[in-house]
Amino acid sequence: MKILVIVSQTQDTEAKIQVSASGDSIDTGDMKWIMNPYDEFAVEEAIQTKEKHGGEVVIVAIGPGRVIDTIRQALAMGADSAVHINGEGFAETDSYAIGKLIAGEIKKLGEFDLIFTGMKIIDEESGQVGVQVAEELGIPHVSLVSKVVEINTDAKKAVCQKEIDGGHVVVEVPLPCLITCPDAMNEPRYASLPGIMKAKKKPLTEVGIDDINYDELGFGKDAVSKEGARVKTISIEVPQIERKLKIIKGDDEPMVKGEEVAKAAEELIKLLREDAKVI
Amino acid sequence: MSNDVWVVVDLKLDGTIRKVTFEALTEAKKKLVDKLGGQLCAVLLGSGVSGLESELGKYGAQKVYVVDSELLKDFNTEGYVIALSELIKQNEPAVVLAGNTVFGQDYFPRVAARIGSGVAMDAIKIDLSGDNNLQIERYSHSSKAIQKQVFHGGTTMMATVRPNSFKAEEAPATPEVISGSVELNPGDIKVKVIELETKASDRPELTEADRVVSGGRGLASEENFKYIYELADILGAAAGATRAAVDAGYCPYDMQVGQTGKAVSPNLYIAIAISGSVQHFAGMGSSKVIVAINKDPEAPIFQKCDYGIVGDLFDILPPFTEKVKALVSEG
Repeated sequence: MKILVIVSQTQDTEAKIQVSASGDSIDTGDMKWIMNPYDEFAVEEAIQTKEKHGGEVVIVAIGPGRVIDTIRQALAMGADSAVHINGEGFAETDSYAIGKLIAGEIKKLGEFDLIFTGMKIIDEESGQVGVQVAEELGIPHVSLVSKVVEINTDAKKAVCQKEIDGGHVVVEVPLPCLITCPDAMNEPRYASLPGIMKAKKKPLTEVGIDDINYDELGFGKDAVSKEGARVKTISIEVPQIERKLKIIKGDDEPMVKGEEVAKAAEELIKLLREDAKVI
Repeated sequence: MSNDVWVVVDLKLDGTIRKVTFEALTEAKKKLVDKLGGQLCAVLLGSGVSGLESELGKYGAQKVYVVDSELLKDFNTEGYVIALSELIKQNEPAVVLAGNTVFGQDYFPRVAARIGSGVAMDAIKIDLSGDNNLQIERYSHSSKAIQKQVFHGGTTMMATVRPNSFKAEEAPATPEVISGSVELNPGDIKVKVIELETKASDRPELTEADRVVSGGRGLASEENFKYIYELADILGAAAGATRAAVDAGYCPYDMQVGQTGKAVSPNLYIAIAISGSVQHFAGMGSSKVIVAINKDPEAPIFQKCDYGIVGDLFDILPPFTEKVKALVSEG
């Protein structure tokens, strides 16, 4: 099987964020860059699929030079090779253009059976790119797959379970298809030391922003810019929600205990009723 | 391009209309339709959906496009993509909205890619820019930031809206019903549903609920989640959980609130034995009133809630639930 994984690099969500001087993006100066956590599930799922059915795992990533660290991590986890669409400014364009660029490179990789990618990236939290790549490639997609139940390489089909509001559904999909991964799917492995050593020698193809054939993609190079974006972020703020912080504590120690319990429960209800007016 | 604004109807598994559809209709009418000067239209896609048009009229829909086909059963993504893309191509509305539900997140971006439109996901505010392009606000960066995004225009502008972000208000109209001329072929449907399990629950759905009661790992067992369900049911609330509680097997994944679960913004969020991680707050930080019960006075949640008790949930909840029950039965 040939399995592709679309991987992104993102800012660590634990990080404290602040708005950049331009006011339309988050300051990334001191930020730690990590593999998008959802993509870790995608890489893991791809490697497990390879281990079961044989074949190869190819990583496809887009972004500036620093993305190489994330690609190496995926290779160290067990992927076999990678394609890096390397350039600045992709963060300013929109998902539509990103989807087209990624799909364009995937078309050059020849036939494949499966594409895995995270359900969304944790900075933009938009979740469009995977689905849009599938559209560009003309293959079916199944999003938010909680479990790949079965892959039948002879019949060229996959059976996937996904959670929906108010229940779950099991679908059968012909290969090739694209699957987006939520986090309940598997437990991503850590890269082992030998894995990290091996990753350095694995094949990596770099595609520069000028190597792209925009005519073939059906849109101009100017679409890959803030001005060309169909949807652009004009401002970003980090809102500070003022919370009331009315916390009921015990008299002698922080925890409410014994006889204080009934009083505390009563007091909380009074606050919810009279102060917040929510019950 | 017309000046019409469309809202694609979000249906529940039981075939009824989700609240988010009425919220989107109301907000679209207020913020977009009057300024654009077009009509407010609903798009009803599904199997056996005819008959729901009048309900859409109640919330101001002047026109309802209906595509009723067996091939649209069970939220069929490909069927929806074909039907909606075709309708958009034929009628060129200015704006198309849908709920940011699990299903909306699935088919909507694909429609945008097919028709070459931009799309914004999970809007909490919608408006028009000075030159009448769609402008939205949405959370990003684990819900720690709010982005304002504006559309370029020139093509249909598409956005999903977060449930519970707008108020649904009735504005009765008698809609003109238009049977959509879309051809769907069984061969177009590649993804086949082979099993569909609905969970019967009398509790409201998390994303739609006005009140949410959630439990964390401190509940310590599946059995103890009865405390969460009991309080939730008395309050008419949805029941939620942290990722840690779900991972520990205390409750199912569809109850997970947070970065990797559902995003909720109820009026009242009661967090029981939840420490308040960044990831959990990414899913509920926009709740209007946050209440915490936790035995650890150092838990981060006590720095970002409105009301709280430092105490053991097993001590606090029984009398608290009892008193809430008495209060509710009083009316």
